[in-house]
Amino acid sequence: MTASAPAPFKKRVDGGAMAFRVIVALSYLFLLAPLLIVVVIAFSSNQYLSFPPEGFTLRWFAELPQQAGFMQGLQTSLITASAATLIVLVIGVSAALALDRYDVPGKAALSSFFLSPLLVPTIVIALGLVLVLGPLGLTNTYESIVLGHIGITLPYVVRTTLMSLATSDTSCEEAARVLGANAFTVFRRVTLPIIRPGVIAGGVIAFIVSFDEAVISLFVAESGRPTLPVQILRYVEYSADAAVAALSVVLIVFSAVVVVVVERLMGLKRTLA
Amino acid sequence: MTAVKLTLDRLTKQYRAGLAPAVDRLDMEVEEGHLVALLGPSGCGKTTTLRMVAGLMDPTAGRIVVDGRDITATPVHERGMGMVFQSYALFPHMDVAANVAFGLQMRRVAKSKQTELVRNALDMVKLGHLASRHPKELSGGQQQRVALARALVVEPTLLLLDEPLSNLDAKLRETMRTEIRSIQRRTGATTLFVTHDQDEALDMADRIAVMNGGLIEQFGTPADIYERPRTRFVADFIGRANLFEASVAAASGTGSKGETVYRIDVPGIGTSEAIGEAGLEGSQRTVLVRPHRVQVELGAQPGGLTGTIENVSYTGDALGYSIRLGDVLLQVERHTADGTIPARGEQATVRWAAEDAYVLPEEVRAP
Ligand SMILES: Nc1ncnc2c1ncn2[C@@H]1O[C@H](COP(=O)(O)OP(=O)(O)O)[C@@H](O)[C@H]1O
Ligand SMILES: [Mg+2]
Repeated sequence: MTASAPAPFKKRVDGGAMAFRVIVALSYLFLLAPLLIVVVIAFSSNQYLSFPPEGFTLRWFAELPQQAGFMQGLQTSLITASAATLIVLVIGVSAALALDRYDVPGKAALSSFFLSPLLVPTIVIALGLVLVLGPLGLTNTYESIVLGHIGITLPYVVRTTLMSLATSDTSCEEAARVLGANAFTVFRRVTLPIIRPGVIAGGVIAFIVSFDEAVISLFVAESGRPTLPVQILRYVEYSADAAVAALSVVLIVFSAVVVVVVERLMGLKRTLA
Repeated sequence: MTAVKLTLDRLTKQYRAGLAPAVDRLDMEVEEGHLVALLGPSGCGKTTTLRMVAGLMDPTAGRIVVDGRDITATPVHERGMGMVFQSYALFPHMDVAANVAFGLQMRRVAKSKQTELVRNALDMVKLGHLASRHPKELSGGQQQRVALARALVVEPTLLLLDEPLSNLDAKLRETMRTEIRSIQRRTGATTLFVTHDQDEALDMADRIAVMNGGLIEQFGTPADIYERPRTRFVADFIGRANLFEASVAAASGTGSKGETVYRIDVPGIGTSEAIGEAGLEGSQRTVLVRPHRVQVELGAQPGGLTGTIENVSYTGDALGYSIRLGDVLLQVERHTADGTIPARGEQATVRWAAEDAYVLPEEVRAP
């Protein structure tokens, strides 16, 4: 503030800009505050989940491998999320390909059908699954979780793949066909490499969403195959120490690393923009 | 005797029922080794025709015959065509060598043979040194050459080019014209070349098919198309043209190439001479005179058609006149040999040798 007094008009604009920045900063703080508190608690030496910390320790992290529930939940989550991701990639990419490249009847209806799970509350899907799978004796299995997660992650894969397809030049595929490639070879050698960023982005999102999902897992497989989020829920029901906060930090770091690595390799942001 | 390579037999494409066909009962025969230009304004059905030949699109009716074999139902990847797309359509994730090798891989050519063929093809288009570049690291002209090498390396049954020069700047376009033509001659690849640029077609093609509204208006050599257009559309589309209606009177002789020389009567202007097909006496026809074939003298002179100069344009090499003859505004172009530039409003007399005016065989179309 060493410059001479600014003109009144300019001052008012600066005031507005400053207010805007403050609001943005506060909004971020509001959104991130819970995360920050979880991170702080993970390192806190308090015996129970509480704030503020009386001292700092790494013992909650050291205890994690001893928590059989967490480890088992992690295994279930990794298996179901991987399976759901692989299956949803096959279904989602095929669906997107059909919607974008072929004259399928009822294209608009199909496209909204594939994107609709985004609009239906997860709890409704979960309830529906229990009502269908229960009588068939299929609850509390890996398959039941995978099935539910396929449903909720499909829209993401279809979306990201459709976006990649929309920006790619179909004449490359035609050129390959003219050069002697059959439909499958065209897909493997030309289409897939070109839309790879969108497919990978969809896969990463599907994996994270599935890995993170609690409601469906809770409904369809709580007793038989509890996933990690379900185990976390159970844990906080019965215990009140900071191990769960330490686990949360591990998961945050894990997700962030996945996103950063993919972003570095593929330009995730570009494919989502 | 040359062999017929490609026959289109009443080839038709109607995109939707009720819509006028985009390509309408097209008949054409292409000789082995020829470069044939499909020439016409935008939307006349050139690309549609080419894509049907490639197999990228099914015809509504008609047949495509190559080397005497009906390939209408053969799927695209079994036709063995080579195609260069307007956008080049290079595979962005492969380097230049891999792009060119793609068709050879599909044909299961041995690896070592592939390397050799790719090298030869890239040398042919003078890109041997860029084999490991990716398409986005190449200029438009270089991409164009890669696309050409990729199409030719498989020794295609037919080479199909869809406006391959339209994305290049004017200077490069000229160079690539010559280059494509010389490569095409060397490889002997029978070629269909789509263009809307008449200069390109006249310069490069052995035969030109002038298309209009899904129909072929005329199929012939560049000289035929230019000198002996069959329709007003062709005369107007190719080169600059004076076109006016005249009554064809009695035949008065025979031209140097056996055409009939007619006396023609241009209503309200006078009489002159023109050549044309036999049997046009007593009909109403359109007459074509190219601007640079008109001779012009200043003042009213006997034995010609006299009019008034309405406009003069001087471009250094050439002098252009617009001369008003009754209802007709005749465009005339002369070399600036004698240095005098006439003024607007002066009288001038035009005349032409009978062989420089052509009576179109097409009947005058009702307006
Ligand atoms: N996929 C399509 N669906 C409907 N009409 C089309 C399609 N492609 C082209 N047409 C129409 O067919 C006609 C010929 O098109 P095209 O062959 O692309 O012309 P050109 O290549 O000579 O410019 C045009 O009127 C165009 O609008
Ligand atoms: Mg076209």
